[in-house]
Formats: sequence, structure tokens, C-alpha cells
Amino acid sequence: MSLLQRLEPQLPKIVVAPTFLCALLFIYGFILWNAYLSFTPSRMLPNYEFVGLIQYQTLFENERWWTALKNLGVFSFLFVGIALIIGLLLAILLDQKIRGEGWIRSIYLYPMALSFIVTGTAWKWMLNPGLGLEKMVREWGFADFTFDWLVNPEKSIYTVVIAAVWQSSGFVMALFLAGLRSIDDSIIKAAQIDGASMPRIYARIVIPSLVPVFISVIMILTHIAVKSFDLVMALTGGGPGFSSDLPATFMYSFSFTRNQIGVGAASAMMMLMMMAAVIVPLMYSDLRRTKGT
Amino acid sequence: MSATTAPGTNRVARWFVYAVLLLACLYYLLPLFVMLSTSLKSLDEIRAGNLLSLPKSLNFDAWAKAWGTACTGVQCEGLKGYLWNSIRFTIPAIFISTLMGAITGYVLAWWRFKGSNVLFGLLLLGCFIPFQVVLLPMARTLGWLGMANTTAGLVLVHVVYGLAFTTLFFRNFYVTVPAELVKAAKIDGASFFQIFGRIILPISIPTITVTIIWQFTQIWNDYLFGVVFSSGEQQPITAGLNNLVNTSTGVKEYNVDMAAAVIAALPTLLVYIVAGKYFIRGMTAGAVKG
Amino acid sequence: MGALSIRDVRKSFGTTDILKGINIDIEAGEFLILVGPSGCGKSTLLSLIAGLESITSGEIHIGGKLVNNLSPKDRDIAMVFQSYALYPTMSVRQNIAFGLEMRKVPKAERDATVARVAQILQIEPLLDRKPAQLSGGQRQRVAMGRAIARNPTLFLFDEPLSNLDAKLRVEMRTEIKLLHQRLGTTIVYVTHDQIEAMTLGDKIAVMKAGELMQFGTPQEIYDQPVNMFVAGFMGSPPMNFIPCTVQQQSNDYGVELETHGQRYFLTLIGGEKLKSSLGRDVILGLRPEKISHPGEAHQASHIATRLRTKVEILEPTGADTLVVVIVNGKKIVCRVHPKFAKAPGESIELGIDSSNSVVFDPSSEARIV
Repeated sequence: MSLLQRLEPQLPKIVVAPTFLCALLFIYGFILWNAYLSFTPSRMLPNYEFVGLIQYQTLFENERWWTALKNLGVFSFLFVGIALIIGLLLAILLDQKIRGEGWIRSIYLYPMALSFIVTGTAWKWMLNPGLGLEKMVREWGFADFTFDWLVNPEKSIYTVVIAAVWQSSGFVMALFLAGLRSIDDSIIKAAQIDGASMPRIYARIVIPSLVPVFISVIMILTHIAVKSFDLVMALTGGGPGFSSDLPATFMYSFSFTRNQIGVGAASAMMMLMMMAAVIVPLMYSDLRRTKGT
Repeated sequence: MSATTAPGTNRVARWFVYAVLLLACLYYLLPLFVMLSTSLKSLDEIRAGNLLSLPKSLNFDAWAKAWGTACTGVQCEGLKGYLWNSIRFTIPAIFISTLMGAITGYVLAWWRFKGSNVLFGLLLLGCFIPFQVVLLPMARTLGWLGMANTTAGLVLVHVVYGLAFTTLFFRNFYVTVPAELVKAAKIDGASFFQIFGRIILPISIPTITVTIIWQFTQIWNDYLFGVVFSSGEQQPITAGLNNLVNTSTGVKEYNVDMAAAVIAALPTLLVYIVAGKYFIRGMTAGAVKG
Repeated sequence: MGALSIRDVRKSFGTTDILKGINIDIEAGEFLILVGPSGCGKSTLLSLIAGLESITSGEIHIGGKLVNNLSPKDRDIAMVFQSYALYPTMSVRQNIAFGLEMRKVPKAERDATVARVAQILQIEPLLDRKPAQLSGGQRQRVAMGRAIARNPTLFLFDEPLSNLDAKLRVEMRTEIKLLHQRLGTTIVYVTHDQIEAMTLGDKIAVMKAGELMQFGTPQEIYDQPVNMFVAGFMGSPPMNFIPCTVQQQSNDYGVELETHGQRYFLTLIGGEKLKSSLGRDVILGLRPEKISHPGEAHQASHIATRLRTKVEILEPTGADTLVVVIVNGKKIVCRVHPKFAKAPGESIELGIDSSNSVVFDPSSEARIV
């Protein structure tokens, strides 16, 4: 038997080995490495001395970190909530046999093709205090209108919400639309014959069967929210000051600008745990639901 | 499902629906319009008018500046260098990650072995991690390999972290291929690679297209990897754009900023316009887990 | 030396036994049918013969050669699938030639084979089309063409007609039979349709839950089923099962039938076995065609019995009418000439021919007589 023939039964394993090794090494290996770094006093360069949870302590004594966490909470809640509502609403409306549906869908979805940097840049200009939205509304006659959220420490995080919702709500719409379309028409017809009104049909039949889509959407949007870095950097730079900081920008700053690798690594581990805390229960409930069918 | 125009639906409701949908269209198109119109105005026009006012003429000065002479930090050579940077690492990364994804997806669908489900699960999980958690180790590793701040380094990073998605796309598609097709090929005497090349690949064209478009969009639009793993003139266009906009030397030239934004957005936007349906397929496929 | 020899083949997945020891031997050129309900293991057995799955224990010999460890391509077999499995991006010509290409047959020979096969199956005009452009019946032929081109020792068919509509199915059945007569290759054919089994096979293997219930010629299986399962599975409408007790009347042994308030004695031919079951509760198996309108046969045969009962349901099928009546408390189906059928509720006279009847034991379901 030639070498190739002898290898043949093992071929599948050999072929996926590179991918497997990549995943193992560059994802899980690195996570472990990063975890270890978070237990070290590394500053500009890694120092592999084990010092326990000191960096985490530093992290949680840092006011900027708390601001970032609070912002993440506010941002996630508003971003996911508003995008869900807008996406669902638009999907329901689009499902009503609209003429030109294809065009409209393309318009709703194109923002997803843009980089978050482009989105951030565009909205940064649009929300520019003095020349942007504020000026436009004033010229419409509302002379007292102010919109300085971009430079207002109290409100800067909300500008990130606005830009993020704009970019992602079309995607949410697409997912809900697909979900609506997969509902069997005959169930709706049966309900109509049974005498149910459309709003009731939506509430009792349609929306409950969209639960899997809700779960998917929440998972994906949360994923986007926790990872949000590009958008903040372009839109506010984290500012004014640190008022619109998010854990991702915090991590970048501490790891690569402030030469505090240990703290940066710790903040990254916290981000991983936050992501897991949301994704894992959702995946589990999704799994349980589909196992039961 | 849809509420058909059956007896009982009133026209007012229909008009309301169209009105809301149209309003939403304006909402999504507004920033694009503003970007374009601002980029065609002079600074005086910008200060005189407002966001919605049209430019007096098609003034491409800002564009020329954004392309060739705008300052992005220390350099003042506009975006053109950054565009080439992006192209240089995007194309190999797309090619490699798609190829690896295809063959891995093929094995996971048709040549399962003990542990292949575990591998798939691990890859799936890998789609969810926040990249922050691998930045530091990757930075050190690239340094060791002598690939810090190089095109090769960015290719490596984008391939590695795109593999989970590309494999997922292909595997999910390949499991829908009828089992009997592969069985027939085995009985006909085709080997592992022959089945892949002669039977599977020819029917994969749509999935390959979706994967390429999806990867292009993800990699081109990335900022995080670009800004962490490269610096200065080597950076991708996203970083170039951000630098351009945030470099504050003297007067802020909003028209140049907007022109730069449009230039950076054009490639993925064009792909979307031309091959939008594949893009959408990629998005919804990525959202259907497992 | 037989063409196919299956010796004590078992297949398990973990703790589940799919096949529990199958033994089948057929000669070269025979048409073997594997038939049974869903889940009986017939498709699994076919996969084992093909080499698409591995055997847990036992041996399979093809053409006298042990093939347990050979991959499909080394077993000299060809297979036709339920969904035809034609390569969608290749033309019909390329589909048929693919197996030859894989075996490095030179082009000239390949072309000649494709032409010959296309002529046998009359698909010459389709050679340059793609599968998507063909009808179901045409695809079926191309799938067979692909198999024939390989000229193997063994042909395997996995429910190939299930996806065709009824009329086409009957046509293709005849074609397959003609092909077998013409080519003379050994065939193993899996189906759940007992009509296909009866009309196509030289030998039938009836399977249930991983076991071989009975192996024999179609007529053997039909007339002498080995248990209630085989008896009830083969034949349409299925055999009637009537619970009764073995009794004696003067010198004859038989069973008592009670219908519509009247009792009748039905004589059975069973020799010693029947005699030794006197007094036992048994199940009498009578095929519907043996319960018919009283005719000459019933007058001539001394084991015929006439009875009068009430029609419950009528099912006209054109050639004859199926009449459902109640005997010994059970619904049984009778085949009656349309001329003699009566309306539901009316009284009808029936003649029973018990010459080919079967007697089963109620608990083991095995045949006693």
C-alpha cells in the first residue's frame, strides 16, 4: 500500500487538523494565557509572576472602569431594547405584502455593510453641537433647541446608542421578517375563522412563535454591544473625558496606551465573563426548547 | 404570514403602513445623504447652511484632499496608502479562510469521526468570544514571529478569527446535501478529495459567494485588529479614516472628513449594491446557529 | 458458490441491535428482495452489503470473496438510490461515466459503454442534459444506467420506485424485471411494498425488527407463511386472522365459525398437527380470495363451507368487490364478484375454501399447520 493509501482513512482528521489547532491555540490557548496575564503584575511588558487577584482589585477600584461598566449596562439595555422594537415593528409592517418590499429591505439593511468607523464618523458630524442637528432644527424655527449630547458627559453614551441602533436595527428587521415568513399561513387563517382579531392573532400566535428569533437577536445584539469598540472610538473617542467609555475602549486604553497590561488583561477576562453570562443561559434555553420538540 | 387585503382591512391602515415604512427609509438614508452632500460643500457653505441643505455645486475638492493630501497623524498623504494596505491583507485573508472553511465544513458534514462534534462545538463557541481577550497574547505572538505590524500578521489574525464563521457557513450548507449523493460517489469509487473536488465544490458556488462577501465585509470594516496589530502607515483604511477625522490641526474640515468616510465605505457599499442578496444570506445564515 | 452470502451478520449502534443475525444465500443471477416495515433493518443490511457501513459481526461474501473489510469501490457493486442521487452539475453522459472515470477506464471505452447503456435504457436523447432537466422516470433510468455501466457482480437497489407516482411505478417495475432478464446480473432490492416484492423477486427475505422472518420464493411466502407477521404483511388486502378453537366433528377436524347468530363447522386439512391441537385456541388464517361468493369450487371441494351473514362494509375495486363481514367477533375481508355483492346491512351468502388455510398459535404467532 502506498503512503497515500495508508493515510486515506485518516485523511479527514489530517485535513481538519490545521483548523482545529488554530482554534485550540489562538482561541482557547490565548484565553488561558490572557487569564494568566490577569494574575500578574505586568505593566508594559509581561511579567509572569503570579500575584493572585490584585489586578482585579485595581480594576474594581478604578472609577473609569465603573463608568465603563455602567455605560455598558445603559448602552446594552437601550441598544438591544430599541433595536428590537424598531426591528420587530418594521418587520411586521413589511410583512403586509408591500409593493417595493425588496427595495425597502435593501435600504434598511445597507448600514450593516458599513464599518462602525464610518457610522461613527457620520453620526459624529450629524450630532455636531453647533453645526449639526442642533443647527438644523434651530433653522426650522425651534430657536431654543439644543443638542449637545456629543460633548455632554451626562449624555454622550446616548449618542452611541443612537448610532448603534441606526446601524443594526435593519438587521434585526431582517431576522424578524424571516421568522414571520416561516409561520404557517394556515394557522393564521384558522385563527381568523375562529374569530380572532389581527392584534390578538399577533399577540397570542405570532409573537410567541417568534421566541427563537428573539433569543437569536438578543444574543447577537448583546454580542455586538459588549464588543463595541470601533463605534465609540469614532463617535466620541470615549469622551468627553471618560464619560462614554465602554469596557472595550477601557481595555484598549489600559493595555496599549497606558502600559498596564495586567489590568487590561483583567478587564478582558471580565468582558469574556459578561458575554458568557448572557450568551450561555440564552443558548441553554434555546437548546432545551429545541430538544423538547 | 401576512394580513392579506381581505375584507376588513381598511385603506387608512395601509397608508399608515406605507407612511411609517417610508419614514424609516428616510431615517436610514439620512446619514448617507448627509455624508455625500457635506463632502461636496465648501467650508463656508457648511457654516452657512445646515445638514440638509444641498451643495451649491459638485465640488470634489474635499475628495481630492481626502484621497491624497489630508493629514492622518504625522503623515499628510490622505487615504490612498491606507486603501492599498487594506486590499493587501484582505484578499489573501478571504481566500485562505474560505478555503479552510470549505474543507473543514466538508469533513464536519460528511466524514465525521469521534470528537468531530466537539470540534464543531468549540468552533461555534469561538464565534462568541469578545476579541479583547486574545489581543494581548496575539500581540506577543506576532512579535515573536516577527510579524508585528506586517501584512502577513493581519492576514494571520483575520484568517484565524474568521475560520469559525466560514466553517460554520460551509458545514451548515453541506449537511443539507443529500446523503445519497455522497454514497453514490463513494460507490462509484471516488476518493475523499475527488468527492470534494468533483461533486461538492461545484454545488457550493452560492455558499462560496456568500462566504467571500461576508468575509470581505467583516475584514475590510474591521478596526480593532487593524489598530492593535499594525501602526502608522501600515494600518488599514478604517484606522486611516479615524486618524484623519481625529487629527486636529487647525480648522476642522468637515467636508474632507465626510469625503474620507465615503471613500472608506465605498468598497463594501458597492459589494452590497451589486451582490446584496448574498450579503443578506450570509447575515441570516450566521444568525442561525448550529 | 453463490453470488451473495450473508452469514450471521449483526449490526449494533452502541447498545441498540439493528440486525440480530441474518443468514441469506443466493445464487448468481437471482433477484433477491429485502422487504419489511420501516425500521426492520433492510436498508441497513443493504448498506452493509455495499460497504457503506461496517459490520459488527458476521461475514458477507460477494462472488465467493469475503468483503467485510473492503471499501465500496473494491466490492464490484453498483447501487441505485431512492432519490437517484445523480450528480447535479454533471450531464447525463458524465453521470453515467463517472464510476468508469474513477476506475481509470480509457476514454474510448467509456464512451462506448455510455452509448451501449443509453441504448439499452433508451435515454440517448438525454445524454447532454443535466439532471434538473429530467423527469422522475428519466432520472430513474439514468441512475440505473450509471449502475449498469459499471457491469458489477451485484446490483443494489434501495427503494428506487418509492418517489414515483403509481402509474410510473408499475411501468418501471416491468422495466426493471425486463432488465434483469436481459442482463442476468444478481440483484438485491430493498422495498417496503409487498406487491413489488411479489412481482419482482426470485427470492424474498421478509424482515422485522432486525430479524429474518422468512426466506423463500414468492409463492412459498404467500402460501406457507411461517408466522402471523409474514402472513399479514404479504398480500393485499392482508390475510384474515380469525380466533377460534380446534374441534372435532365426526371424523373431521376443524374450527367453529360463528356469524350473524349462526354457527358453522369449517373442516381443515391438517393431519396429525391439527389432531394434536384439539381443544386449543388458535388463530385461523384465511386469505380474502378464499372467502367468496358460493361458486362451483365450493360445491366440488369437500372442505368448502357455506355461510350466511350480514354485510358490514363494501369496497368496490372494479375487478372484484371487497366485502367486510363479522365472524367470531372480528371483521374479515372477502373477495366477491361484483355481481354477487350486496349492500351494507343486507344478508349475503359466502363460500369458504379452507384448502390453503393456515393455523397459528395465538401467543407465539407461529404457524402450527
